[in-house]
Amino acid sequence: MSSRDQRYVELFQVGKTYPNAVGDPFTVVEEFDLIMRRGDVVSLIGHSGCGKSTVLSMVAGLNETSRGSIAIGGREISGPGPDRAVVFQAPCLMPWLTAYQNVRLGVDRVYPHATSAERHEVCEYYLAAVGLGDCLYRLPSELSGGMQQRVGIARAIALKPRLLLLDEPFGRLDSITRMELQDVILRTLDRESITTLLVTHDVDEALYMSDRVCMMTSGPRARIGQLLELPFCKPRQREAVLEHPLYYDLRACLVSFLEEQDTQRGRLQEVEFVSRIQQEVETLVENEVVRSPSPQVANSTTELAVVN
Amino acid sequence: MSTLTHPPATEASTTTTPPALAPQPVQLTTAREINPRVLAAWSRFKYAGLRFADVTGLSFLPPILRLLDGEETAKQWREIVRTLFVPAAAFALFLFAWTVVAPHHRTKSGVVPTPSAVWDAAQSIWAFHEREGKKESAYLMSGDERSTWLTAARERLTKLEPYEQAASRAVAEATVANQQSVESKIAPLVAQRKELEESIASAQQARLAAMETQQAALPSASVETKEAFLAAVRAHQEATEAERLELQQLDAKIQTARDRVDARLNGAKRTQTAIAEERQYLATLVDQLDGANQESKLDREISQLRNNQRDFLASAGSDILPAAMRVVQSERRINAVRESNYAKPWTLPMQIARSVACVFFGFAIGSLIAIPVGVLCGLSPTFMSAMTPFIALFKPVSPIVWLPIALIIVGGFIPDPNNNGMLSFLEALPLIGWMKINPAFIASAVTVALCSLWATLVNTALGVASVDKDYLNVARVLQLNFRDRLFKIIIPSALPLIFTGLRISLGVGWMVLIAGELLSSSEGIGKFVWDQFNNGASDSFAKMIVVVFIVGVIGLILDRLMVICQRLVSFDNSGLQV
Repeated sequence: MSSRDQRYVELFQVGKTYPNAVGDPFTVVEEFDLIMRRGDVVSLIGHSGCGKSTVLSMVAGLNETSRGSIAIGGREISGPGPDRAVVFQAPCLMPWLTAYQNVRLGVDRVYPHATSAERHEVCEYYLAAVGLGDCLYRLPSELSGGMQQRVGIARAIALKPRLLLLDEPFGRLDSITRMELQDVILRTLDRESITTLLVTHDVDEALYMSDRVCMMTSGPRARIGQLLELPFCKPRQREAVLEHPLYYDLRACLVSFLEEQDTQRGRLQEVEFVSRIQQEVETLVENEVVRSPSPQVANSTTELAVVN
Repeated sequence: MSTLTHPPATEASTTTTPPALAPQPVQLTTAREINPRVLAAWSRFKYAGLRFADVTGLSFLPPILRLLDGEETAKQWREIVRTLFVPAAAFALFLFAWTVVAPHHRTKSGVVPTPSAVWDAAQSIWAFHEREGKKESAYLMSGDERSTWLTAARERLTKLEPYEQAASRAVAEATVANQQSVESKIAPLVAQRKELEESIASAQQARLAAMETQQAALPSASVETKEAFLAAVRAHQEATEAERLELQQLDAKIQTARDRVDARLNGAKRTQTAIAEERQYLATLVDQLDGANQESKLDREISQLRNNQRDFLASAGSDILPAAMRVVQSERRINAVRESNYAKPWTLPMQIARSVACVFFGFAIGSLIAIPVGVLCGLSPTFMSAMTPFIALFKPVSPIVWLPIALIIVGGFIPDPNNNGMLSFLEALPLIGWMKINPAFIASAVTVALCSLWATLVNTALGVASVDKDYLNVARVLQLNFRDRLFKIIIPSALPLIFTGLRISLGVGWMVLIAGELLSSSEGIGKFVWDQFNNGASDSFAKMIVVVFIVGVIGLILDRLMVICQRLVSFDNSGLQV
């Protein structure tokens, strides 16, 4: 991995402040630092309203940063673009377009020099990849919520984005559909190895889907509380993850972090607990027991804010 | 299926089902068991019907279809009662009240017509239309067809003669009978008037005599007595006035009794009028088939031409030039006859078609202005605020104000309507040529456009301005260019609201048009009403009421059409607010 790939996505001191007509400006996010390797899947986890989605929409370019900068592939972003595809919480499909047309809308934009037949193939391929091969020409109103979200995923991935942004994509789905779609995304990511930022408030989802979990403190002035490297092997198998010896410890670590954000108590014990778990992970990673790609020591670039 | 096996007793106890309809689903069941193909065809028909009812909003259709299928009979009957029987009953009640109340209200144009009189008027409007159509075709008819028609018309004329005599006899008899009954009713009133007159005269004389005797003693009397005398004079004046009023009231009573025409005379007169109308029609028809017919005119002219040609060939010297002139004139006349047509007057169905064409013409002009401007307003708040004063200022202006202005402006563009390239081009077009589009038509359409475009404009602006933010975010992520964003995201998303605006506009336009035609004398429904108002024939009032229903029904159909369009373009089902 080249050094550019090591620092493929870089968020440096990113902050967002909204003006407040009747008081001090309201700072949602402050001094947010994150570095993602190429092909990395990073989860942003935190309480609702802590600013996860704000960070994501700033990366997407839909929301301007107040401070700091965001760079992808060594180039600073300005405004939204198809290189950063977003899957929104609501499917956000155009209700007057069929599933195929919805995907085609973006494909036409990204492959301007391809022939019509090639674009058609691309659309069909990605819709088939999310399991909608036989519902190409249905309107969103004729699809279930889960199927609509699949179209949203296909639309995003068909853009061949450099960075895929998932904004609680399963938030409105029932748990069975959610598990199906998690697998749909994981399989696609395994195939395409797209760098992905996933916003979620579901601990299990974060553990199952991502390589690293980035825990955010509760807002206002939210920042990164903890970074957690996950030891599970790729491609992910749900059973393997669940049966992993460290799974429940990692889960407990995340849950206690989130709970601690609620109470703001037991802060010290928490820090000790997290670093103990992290150490265990590191030993495992160093021994190359679990992870197949060459292991990186966790937090080589980003220090644990709490440890400091 | 389970509902079908219920014993009829339970069904009758729970619903108002008439027993005659109960066996129907049972028959269907047997058909189901016998032929699956019939079943499949039926279910296709049923679902097609349900979809149709859904799109058109005909809410009484689904329960009927479901009832035929034997689906939850009790519930379907309740629905049918609610959606079909209740409105029908309300309308019947209205007709009944109308029939009862109408004859009691006398106006200058006669009694308010009852529903049956209105129905008769509608039939007479239709008969007029059909007869004019026949006259028109009679003018162009030739050969055997012409002669058969001619014989038929003549036969009918001779057949009509005895009827006509009978009708005039009946009218005469009825007039006499009416006269008698009126006289007998008036007699006691006249006697009463005489009595009253006499009593008034004697009372007045008595009062005058009393005052004269008082007046003799007055010069030497006291002031009080003089004042009492003045009071007596005052009282006398007032009494005279009151007596005069009493007499007038009695006179009015006698006059109404005298004017009363009984039903028999009315009926006889109506029959007589109908026969006279038909006779007149047949006479014109015969004329159009015989002397005034195009073919016979041509025959005459051609024989004239032959004579002129012969004269020309035989002539010599200074006669040659006039003879040649006559030949050419004959040729010109023949051409004129070939191109001529029966001068058909406007009939209501033609006027209705012209009105509908006019409203769509105006609606199209208005929409072509309103939709682009509305889109711009929705896209740009700056443009919106530039347009706000115009919208605020011109929206409330009445059609009555727009029409004269439109007439003048359109008249400015078309100074000579008889010699205008565009108008003669329009007149030569196949489907709308007969409508004779003239400046008044265009002015009415422009008025419709000016009054109706506001609803579309405002709704379009609202629709474009309130596109879901999520859709716009998708457009931003995809970095769609302006054209794609407009045509693939913004306009499709605004379409339901645009169609809501169009629907309101068409309704407003239809209302405005009738008033516009009435003012501009552009041939159409409004002109028909105005003509009837000025006409004052015995059935004019009834014909105006016919127009009320026609305007209502056409407005309803236009509205339905727009609802269907709205349903077809709206991606959610929000369009179904009827």
